[in-house]
Amino acid sequence: MDLFLQTVINGILLGGIYIVLAAGFSLVFGVLDIIDFAVGEWVMLGAFAAYFGQQYLHVDAFVFLPVVFVAFFALGYAIQPIIFRVVSTKTHLPMLMGLVFTFGLSTLMKGSALTAWGYNPRSLDTFLSDTSLALSIPGLRLFAFVFAVAATLLFIGFLYRTRTGLAIRAAAQDRDKAALMGVRVKDLASVVYGLYAGMTGMAGVLIGAIFSLSPQMGAKYTTFAFFVVVLGGLGYVPGVFVAAILLGLINTMTTVYFNASYSFLMVFLLLFLVLIIQPKGILGRGT
Amino acid sequence: MNNNATLITSLKTVVGRRPARLAVGLALGLSMLFAFSTAALAARNYYKIGVVTSLSGDYALGGNLTKRGYSTWARAVNAKGGIKVDGKRYKVKLVYADAQSNPKSGADAASRMIQSQEVDFIFGPYSSAVTLGVAPIAEKYQVPMVTGSAESPEIWKHHFNFTFGTIPSVDMTAQAPIKYLTEQSPKPGSIAVIGINDPFSKAAATGFDEAAKKTGLKVDSFDVVPTHSDFSALLSKIKDENPDILAVGGEPQDLIDVLKASASINFSPKAIVMHYGITDAGFRKEVGSTFGNYTIGITDWSPDANLKDDLFGTAKQYAQAFEKHYNLTPDYTTAACSATGEAFTAALQKIGAKPPLSRGQRVKLMKALEGIDIHTFYGPVNFAKSGAHFHDNSELKPMVVQVVDGDKYIISPAKYKQHDVVYPRPPFSKLLNKQ
Repeated sequence: MDLFLQTVINGILLGGIYIVLAAGFSLVFGVLDIIDFAVGEWVMLGAFAAYFGQQYLHVDAFVFLPVVFVAFFALGYAIQPIIFRVVSTKTHLPMLMGLVFTFGLSTLMKGSALTAWGYNPRSLDTFLSDTSLALSIPGLRLFAFVFAVAATLLFIGFLYRTRTGLAIRAAAQDRDKAALMGVRVKDLASVVYGLYAGMTGMAGVLIGAIFSLSPQMGAKYTTFAFFVVVLGGLGYVPGVFVAAILLGLINTMTTVYFNASYSFLMVFLLLFLVLIIQPKGILGRGT
Repeated sequence: MNNNATLITSLKTVVGRRPARLAVGLALGLSMLFAFSTAALAARNYYKIGVVTSLSGDYALGGNLTKRGYSTWARAVNAKGGIKVDGKRYKVKLVYADAQSNPKSGADAASRMIQSQEVDFIFGPYSSAVTLGVAPIAEKYQVPMVTGSAESPEIWKHHFNFTFGTIPSVDMTAQAPIKYLTEQSPKPGSIAVIGINDPFSKAAATGFDEAAKKTGLKVDSFDVVPTHSDFSALLSKIKDENPDILAVGGEPQDLIDVLKASASINFSPKAIVMHYGITDAGFRKEVGSTFGNYTIGITDWSPDANLKDDLFGTAKQYAQAFEKHYNLTPDYTTAACSATGEAFTAALQKIGAKPPLSRGQRVKLMKALEGIDIHTFYGPVNFAKSGAHFHDNSELKPMVVQVVDGDKYIISPAKYKQHDVVYPRPPFSKLLNKQ
């Protein structure tokens, strides 16, 4: 019974990490119609930002969570106008152009990181690295889960309880009509992308504390982000909670009770089934 | 002349005067270039060596280790004027191709290297998977390849005539740390084995598993998992079984993930054995004083071993030259890669083959490699001529090493011992609180 409980808890904690990663990704798709291929690389850069911060300043990695958020928000805010130009309606097939552009961005980020930092995997340490609670619940993962859920709830609160959030949701629903109602869509787009980059960067710090880091670590998280967002419903941020936890549970249950080699198979089997039966996502609220 | 005039006239009629002249000029120019380049390939006074290894992708770390090893040999041999064959010296030139950590890309790269660049022979890939992709290409075009890295026994079972390896395969070396631990007190009774799903790592895990059974250890679990997995669930299951030893076959990134996941759930077996990774200086720099402290592993070479040769001097001198150039400590993979050059040197000198090598000479080179028996700064290089380890350097004996506070020490065999083994391993809570 203990092993079952532990497996469920491990799955929920693992899923929690993916929540903050996927929430921003879902929002960017919903508001900006951008499928950001570089999501994994934002995670990677967030992890490395905390790593080098720790190397030079000798403080715990979690100190960098707000720092990374602010820095990456600024970076995302600065990059977004370029993406906006690529996906503006004057471009033929804007969504495809956005995908191609972000794929190029991903390649640039990964290549630059490899060139600058080399191939060796790194390790980010925190004061919680060896903390284990009852039932061998990893303290580090519990913290990451709580932080991720809190950050995402704050983010959803921002979307649903503030005027800017209302404007973002309006733009997500219908960009043209929102513009006609006085919403400055272009400025809003920069805020949205900045929020996304900031949240994904923070996810990178959490992931870097739990796993090893390398410039090539991003691909896995891009895959997971796609999975969670599609399963939760494209553009529907609350759906991300359910999908992320489900991903974590499938992973851990398959590993413990079946065979670890089949965990990816099970994850994508579920995705295919949902897409066939309920294309709008598991809660039926996606685009 | 008449034909050329007719050609130009015809072209003028079809495309106009100026384009016609441009087309003919271009054709003549290209023909001259081709003739010149063909003539240049035929008369080469250096050995052109193809290096197919993973310079990008999952195996980029190891691929670059091999690149450094091969380059170190090339620099050393060129510093002496080149390989001496029949009284004359011929320098060596390495041409690199990126296998992208993918067997198919490796095969394509090797094919291009052999057909377009006409290399004389090949220094092989880092990973066993890519080696298995490249070996059939070497076989098809009859180009000898020696790899200084790939450790999966799968490679040698195929009995490729043109593929050799300077590192003993892991089924021979994985036994060493397991056997060693069963001789320690308190005697371990059980083991859990994890292997990452690639040819080398699975073979390492299988080697640990077989060694465990031979030495009477109870194998609590044997799991093969995809690379970049989350290990917490699996390790929770393993922790429940409470094995004395955790043995993992994988690459450095997965090994770090296993160590961190073990620490996070407070799973501290009496010993953790890992292969490959702990011999890499980068791995020890990152986790050698923390999560990876007191991890046990395997090496086939040490800079402190009493070995020497005419090219590099002693093993220590090799290490010093390497460190001076790269600011890094060499591990056994880089040493094995440097030794591949010495294997080719001995074989070339035996048959007196000068560059560029013809197909017939490459076949003779292959046969000469089969017969070499040399002693280098890396150890003996002597390829098996039959059996399950066909063309592998199976005489080399492994050493057991342990990471202690960020440094690597040989703990077995006794004649090379540098440090007493730390066993049982302190729990992670003590290791991480030391910092």
